Amino acid sequence: MNLIAKRFINFYHLSLIFFVLFCIFFIQNTFSAEGAPCKDYGECDEFKHTLTDMSSLQRGASTYLTYCYGCHSLEYSRWNRVASDLEIPEEIFFNNLVFDASVKPGDLMAGSMSKTESAEWFGVAPPDLTLVTRLHGSDWVYTYLRTFYEDSSKQYGVNNLVYPGAAMPNVLASLQGNQQLICKQIPVIAKNGGEKRDDFGNTITKEKCGFLSVESGTGILNKDEFDKLIYDLTNFLTYVGDPDKVERERIGWYVVFFFIIFTSLASLLYREYQKDYH
Amino acid sequence: MSTITKVFDWVNHRLPIQNTYERHLSKHPVPKKVNFWYLFGALAAVVLVIQIVSGIWLIMLYTPGEAAFASIEYMMRDVDYGWVIRYMHTTGASMFFAVVYLHMFRGLLYGSYQKPRELVWIFGCTIYLAMMAEGFLGYVLPYGQMSYWGAQVIISLFGALPYIGESLELWIRGDYYISGITVNRFFALHVVALPLVLIALVFLHLVALHEVGAGNPEGVDIEAHTDQDGVPLDSVPFFPYKVLNALVGIGVFMTVFAIIMFFFPEGGGYFIEYANYEEANPLVTPDHIAPVWYYSPYYSILRAVPDKLGGFAAMGAAVAVFFVVPWLDRSNVASIRYKGILSKIALVMFGISFITLGYLGTVSVTEHRKTMSIICTVIYFSYFLLMPIYTSIEKTKPVPDRL
Ligand code: HEM
Repeated sequence: MNLIAKRFINFYHLSLIFFVLFCIFFIQNTFSAEGAPCKDYGECDEFKHTLTDMSSLQRGASTYLTYCYGCHSLEYSRWNRVASDLEIPEEIFFNNLVFDASVKPGDLMAGSMSKTESAEWFGVAPPDLTLVTRLHGSDWVYTYLRTFYEDSSKQYGVNNLVYPGAAMPNVLASLQGNQQLICKQIPVIAKNGGEKRDDFGNTITKEKCGFLSVESGTGILNKDEFDKLIYDLTNFLTYVGDPDKVERERIGWYVVFFFIIFTSLASLLYREYQKDYH
Repeated sequence: MSTITKVFDWVNHRLPIQNTYERHLSKHPVPKKVNFWYLFGALAAVVLVIQIVSGIWLIMLYTPGEAAFASIEYMMRDVDYGWVIRYMHTTGASMFFAVVYLHMFRGLLYGSYQKPRELVWIFGCTIYLAMMAEGFLGYVLPYGQMSYWGAQVIISLFGALPYIGESLELWIRGDYYISGITVNRFFALHVVALPLVLIALVFLHLVALHEVGAGNPEGVDIEAHTDQDGVPLDSVPFFPYKVLNALVGIGVFMTVFAIIMFFFPEGGGYFIEYANYEEANPLVTPDHIAPVWYYSPYYSILRAVPDKLGGFAAMGAAVAVFFVVPWLDRSNVASIRYKGILSKIALVMFGISFITLGYLGTVSVTEHRKTMSIICTVIYFSYFLLMPIYTSIEKTKPVPDRL
């Protein structure tokens, strides 16, 4: 009997080992990455929001209303809410940033274009962007707006690495300059990890394409300034996607703190009662 | 006699208040030693209350039909603290399933379904079934892209049934495709019909439990040793001892709940799917349709079977098989602590396969993942179908006499 039991255990230990091997073998393949989130660009550039930085949000709002709002509504957001959340006095806000005189402070930011007309112009109606940072993530938006490149085969002469075939002109081209996809000579890496060299000690290179490069002098802003502009714009869109985030997290600390106290008191009380039967 | 006592007496002669209080609370005996696994039932009850209360407030703000998506954004932005209500309900939905899955796992771990608790288990399984329907209907209500296409996938399963399929599909949708009409009827079912069923079932679950008494992780029958009044020696009254115990569990649970609700309401795209931040669009199929995490194991099983009807049947069987567990387990002990090595291996394998299926259900299919999901589906069903064999041939350890 004992022997049989032992055999059993051996058999099941064996199958357990087999199972673990099976897992290791399969795990890599199973968890292999889905397609890159930023498509042809690969991984998106990381975006860290600063939702309490009012001047960044204000600059972002101004860029949005100047360059984007003509086509993209923010239809779930209201004018006066944005003004007050961003600490812009209503008078300044409505005189300088709202270009439509018929807008009333409590209106939704419903856009100025008719959906059917714009669908005719662009092939698809430009989508509403209230929730774009929640749909695609802020990283995606931040990367997308910086990866337009010239492509004469497209309707607007530009294409996008993150969203290939996007039916949108690069409205910020005058600021950014002409961005192109270029090829570069890059060093070939040898097996030992160093750069490969030929017999004369020169680095061996090979051509690789797909790099973004801005033709110098064609844009109003330099690269850092442009990145900053897009940062502020994305920050603003992150706010619009989740306008209560800061407030929510502020309240959250109190609620969590309350439940921690609650748990401690309950546990003290429980221990006291446990003495009755231990 | 004070007036209050008089009023109480008057009512008590007409309504069994004192009796009920004693029978189900102050004198209801429960095992004095159980572990944290026994808290999840109470937590499920807490979440049920959270869902009902937050749900009532949601109804005040939500508009069913085609306007649903906008009405959700309206309550999230224009209604003061509207987001509290909505995130409470979305977080609650995921936590409900998390807690119930752990509650069910406890049942498998300690053989809680065994005699005399078979009916408790069966009511439990029926609750689970009702919850799945409730969750599905609720997920359609915000009318985002995943609401729409998730519903499309599930409803089309009914269409795969022979003969009646197509007309059944039409009958469920109430339209030739999913539309505001479908949302309206799902709304009615989600807020009235299924909650009534759920509440009734939870009531029956608890009545049946109190009739036979709660189990314990040792699988000891505490009724075997009683004092002269018939009270089990290894028991304590439910109130206040177990209520206080539960209160500690509730405190810990609510802390986790609040952290999710206030800081990570989307749960990394698993509690609220990112794709659902886009309004339903019948003309655009998303690249990747994935159910919320709590259905994903079953979605994997569905996809593991090449044939649509077969997949539907496998998915149904995967849920239905829980009902017969009390009769599949032939062991003479209840708890995993005294069961043999075979039961232990089987339970671990089942756990791993369930989680792997869950993961696979949230990602897109590749040839390799498909193989994985088939293997895990086989393990999933083997756990149940081989149970009569491995529980009867293995050597169990002796169960102690007392708790
Ligand atoms: C809304 C959902 C549910 C609620 C509110 C609920 C509530 C409870 C409560 C309060 C208990 C006693 C405390 C405990 O043992 O944790 C319990 C016990 C039990 N539940 Fe549930 N339950 C739910 C769903 C389920 C499901 C889905 C199953 C199984 C499929 C299930 C099976 C059991 C069993 C077998 C017991 C007895 C455990 C024992 O005493 O050993 N329950 N339930």
